[in-house]
Amino acid sequence: MRAYVNERGRIGLSGLRELVLSGTGPILGVGLALVVSAGLILARGVNPLVAYAAMLEGAFGSVAALANTGVRAAPIILSGFAVGLGYKAGLWNIGGTGQIYLGATTATIVGIIPLPVPAWIHLLIAVMAGFVGGALWMFVPAYLCAYRGVNLVCTTLMLDYVAGFFVSWLLHEPSPLAEKGATFPMSPLILPSARLPILMEGTSLHAGFVLAVVLGVVLHFVLHSTTFGFRTRMVGKSPEAARYAGIDVVRWILLVLLICGGLAGLAGAGEVLGLKLRLFDYFEGFVGFEGLALAILVEGNPLGMILAGIFFGSLKAGAGKMQIVTGIGTPMALVIEALAVLFVVAIGFGQRGGVAQPARKKMRGEKR
Amino acid sequence: MDLSTLTNWLQAGVRLAAPLVLTSIGSVYNERVGIINISIEGSMLVGALAAVAGTLITGNVVIGTICALAAGGLLAVVHAYLTVARNTSHLVSGLALNFLALGATNMGFALLFPTERARVATYPVLGPPELRSVPFFGPVVFNQAVIVWIALILPFVSSWVLYRTSWGLNIRAVGEDPHAVASAGLSVFWPKFVAVVFSGVCAGLGGSALALTDLGYFAPNMTGGRAFVVLAANVVGKWNPIMVAASCLLYGAADALQLRIQTFGSPIPYQFFLMLPYLVTVAALAGFVGRVAVPKTLGEPYDPEAI
Amino acid sequence: MNQSADIALRIEGITKRFPGVLANNDITFEVRVGEVHGLLGENGAGKTTLMNILYGFHQPDSGKIYIGGREVRITSSRVAVDLGIGMVHQHFRLADNLTALENVILGIPPKRPPLLDLESSRARFEGLTNEYGLDLRPSTPIWQLPVGDRQWLEILKLLFRDAHVLILDEPTSVLAPSQIEQLFKTIRRLADDGRSIIFISHKLREMKEVADRVTVLRDGQVVATVDPRQTSPTQLAHMMVGREVFLDRRPRPPSESRRAVLVVDSLSCQDDRGIPALRDLSLTVHAGEIVGVAGVAGNGQRELAECIAGLRRPVSGTIRISEEFIAGVTRDPSLLGYIPEDRRKTGLVADFTVEENLIIKTFDQSPFSRRGVLQRHAISDRANTLIQEYDIKTPHPATPIRHLSGGNQQRVVVARELNAEPALLVASQPTRGLDVASVEALQGMLLEERNRGAAVLFISTELSEVLAVSDRILVFYRGEIMGELMAETADVNLIGEMMLGHRGHKDPAA
Repeated sequence: MRAYVNERGRIGLSGLRELVLSGTGPILGVGLALVVSAGLILARGVNPLVAYAAMLEGAFGSVAALANTGVRAAPIILSGFAVGLGYKAGLWNIGGTGQIYLGATTATIVGIIPLPVPAWIHLLIAVMAGFVGGALWMFVPAYLCAYRGVNLVCTTLMLDYVAGFFVSWLLHEPSPLAEKGATFPMSPLILPSARLPILMEGTSLHAGFVLAVVLGVVLHFVLHSTTFGFRTRMVGKSPEAARYAGIDVVRWILLVLLICGGLAGLAGAGEVLGLKLRLFDYFEGFVGFEGLALAILVEGNPLGMILAGIFFGSLKAGAGKMQIVTGIGTPMALVIEALAVLFVVAIGFGQRGGVAQPARKKMRGEKR
Repeated sequence: MDLSTLTNWLQAGVRLAAPLVLTSIGSVYNERVGIINISIEGSMLVGALAAVAGTLITGNVVIGTICALAAGGLLAVVHAYLTVARNTSHLVSGLALNFLALGATNMGFALLFPTERARVATYPVLGPPELRSVPFFGPVVFNQAVIVWIALILPFVSSWVLYRTSWGLNIRAVGEDPHAVASAGLSVFWPKFVAVVFSGVCAGLGGSALALTDLGYFAPNMTGGRAFVVLAANVVGKWNPIMVAASCLLYGAADALQLRIQTFGSPIPYQFFLMLPYLVTVAALAGFVGRVAVPKTLGEPYDPEAI
Repeated sequence: MNQSADIALRIEGITKRFPGVLANNDITFEVRVGEVHGLLGENGAGKTTLMNILYGFHQPDSGKIYIGGREVRITSSRVAVDLGIGMVHQHFRLADNLTALENVILGIPPKRPPLLDLESSRARFEGLTNEYGLDLRPSTPIWQLPVGDRQWLEILKLLFRDAHVLILDEPTSVLAPSQIEQLFKTIRRLADDGRSIIFISHKLREMKEVADRVTVLRDGQVVATVDPRQTSPTQLAHMMVGREVFLDRRPRPPSESRRAVLVVDSLSCQDDRGIPALRDLSLTVHAGEIVGVAGVAGNGQRELAECIAGLRRPVSGTIRISEEFIAGVTRDPSLLGYIPEDRRKTGLVADFTVEENLIIKTFDQSPFSRRGVLQRHAISDRANTLIQEYDIKTPHPATPIRHLSGGNQQRVVVARELNAEPALLVASQPTRGLDVASVEALQGMLLEERNRGAAVLFISTELSEVLAVSDRILVFYRGEIMGELMAETADVNLIGEMMLGHRGHKDPAA
């Protein structure tokens, strides 16, 4: 960030200016969403201030509440990175759901096998397995998109559903991954040596949250200060210029997408190794799509996603309390999230981000 | 598998396919004009709730259906405005609307049925009782709710409109080369807008079929991603209304099959049949369907200034 | 030739101004019934604007249009179509997934709406194709049609709407020689049937063969309307490029080195539509010289630049820069500097800052990055140096580049490309859209490079610029070199003739 004199002779701050610009949109969208939702709450005969107060208390009002917020925020943030990084490269990764499932599965596989290594190494391998699982699930859509120009949105979306069914199959006996004699399809318990450490005594807040925050900072650094980030942003802002500059756009897209898959895989690994401690049938909920909403909201900026992810997490954590106090519950959280995205989009900050099919428009005879 | 099991399966298959087929009628049109509309999932869901609510309040299935059409269409109007008028990302808009529909229907469900699940009237079965006992055809064709009949007839009507009328021609052209349409002096905006709203209306109808055929109630998130199967069917059916409807029937049959397999047990896990539509779609997109079939401007904004 | 005195179309005093340019300046001419009227002019002469006015895309600032003697106001393409005006654009407006018949009837209100008149339309389609000897079937989907046939279909569309004024914009650019003959025959038949054809082209042979009269435009004005058969190529060329004196030929020391830097050998490649863009082309650029490529746009110049830069793969032939064969994009900035035609989309990343744009090719090299981490200070320093050196007006190196004027944006591109003192510099339309001062500056920079000893390939559709800047001039036509001249002694009219496809002789002093 530095100061400069702009064309109107006024002092501007580059870097901060960009941050603020990208901040007002989502803040405005969220604000409008909260206002409209307040109206909806009012229509139900409930005082919106009471409802929101209950929500705040449920999200931030006690140590347990804070932990709850953090726990819910972590996978959404990680899933958001998976979308956001792709967004910076000009692509839409809708495969968060599937990548989360696969990442959770591979992490589980490692997590239930006793390994003759110190606990922290077991954990490390399990987490890395989660990354690999997510990346693997991304491979086919990424290849088709980069090398054949096939619409990434369609392929990743389809595989989201396949993943759910696939994992479900793996959790039904007689699969080796299924817990024998269970009433509900699930995996065996994750071994203690492979579990993510709990950050706050007595809560469920696990190291996955720290991972999310740290990764966010790392991603921010990578995007703005490394050659990797520079290349990615160039490909996202102008694939033609990137080709002109000698970048193998096709290969780069494949690489970035695989990393995106891995990031979502980490979200799944976090859930399994930190919170649920087993792989459950259809455990994912909407985390994948919420990550997508997150990325849209802040245009893929990692630091923004940490903040917005905590916001989403607080919505869900607070919804429980709100339900108890006012009778209006979790669906409202979804409504607020949805309205926030819609308003942001309508205001214009969600304008078409980049090229959806970068490999499609090739010049005749161009060297691929 | 004996005959009665077979007919039972096929009858269920057709019934399960009906919501998909109805949704696909509109979805084909809106993808043909170049808009990706994933909010049909949301339209289907609000349609289901509206159908149940309308029938609950008035006791009349027809009113319920009209409510479903209106609800689904209304959601799509937002999508149409954002994508056609404001040129925002189709994906973003559709996704947000789905979230909205999910939250809104959950809330609405809690409002309508706070304690127990009341059941409402369902679609009457159409077909003379005598014919119903005809082996094989009887139950499969004649033991179906009236909405299923509508679902089976509409693809033919839709196909006629698409290929034999000037409206259909405009729609087919707009998604392929909007400049050709513009230079022929026609509007590019209206066919796109109407097609998107129409897809919402059809998805609403599909939702009412889902809720009011045999079931008579609404459950939160009862669509469960069915509308995405329709998107898959579009690809496999190459955006031809009859072929797409046929794909939906196949998926319905697979759905009915996997339900039965869960009870009977089989070497092939039932999840495989659930996966099938999605896997086939990916394969189709990867190149076993001619590239030509995809509407060329699917997903792209229209820039009248471009050459 | 139809001597009817009936005027099908009369354009009177049409003037149209766009920001910064007077595209049409008091244009008057008329087209008779049954006449094939050619429209000849360089790029920027105003042909396209005029035709867009006729087809309702633009409104003239002043002037009148008469159709069949009646004054009309053409406010949209719908109005134009209703008046009987039809246009075949350079970029076809056909829907790939529809059949030929469907494309033709698109937009024509059916007799019993909404039901399409497929039967009667098909009969009419076949009737017209038989009558004019066109080999088209109504049920063929467009994606199966080769490019030449698509053009026929575009013409058929006009006939279906009973167009009696047909505008054809460079129709032969997608056709093979045999198809061109066919086209001319059809055009003649259409004219004999009482229709009027406006035929836009820059090809001399075609004008002579098919046009009854030709109107020559230059710099937005009508130069003359003549009979092409009574006018010599030289006269026509003179009318088109018409400079008696060329101004401001830049002074320069004589070039010394004869070392060949760029050697293009029998290069053939295709354009984006799959049509041959370069045909067996060979050329050489030596160190310390500027070779200018003249010619109407669309004759292979862009494709040549792209092949040299490695952005387009040739079908055959080789390219060597300083003895090294080119295969793919060159990342060595000391070998090639390339100023692309489309600076906003290709040469720059619009959303990046000035300093970022200066390093898009070198960001992963020392000192701009070390072990994958960008060194912001080094980047800033280099940016500041270049901003000084190339006089780039920007508030700050970290200003987003889209805030800069066109001229300054181009300076950024130039600074980046020239900084490493490349052996070969390819500049493709570098002064397009720039103000006078920037044009001056840019031409000056090209000269400096040349004097330093670089080989410069300068592509421009502005003939006066090519003459002012180049040492040697090559004239491109249909992907081939029509002729080669020394700029100092070049006869402008000869160049004009070559641009029109009239093969001149090589200047013996070359």
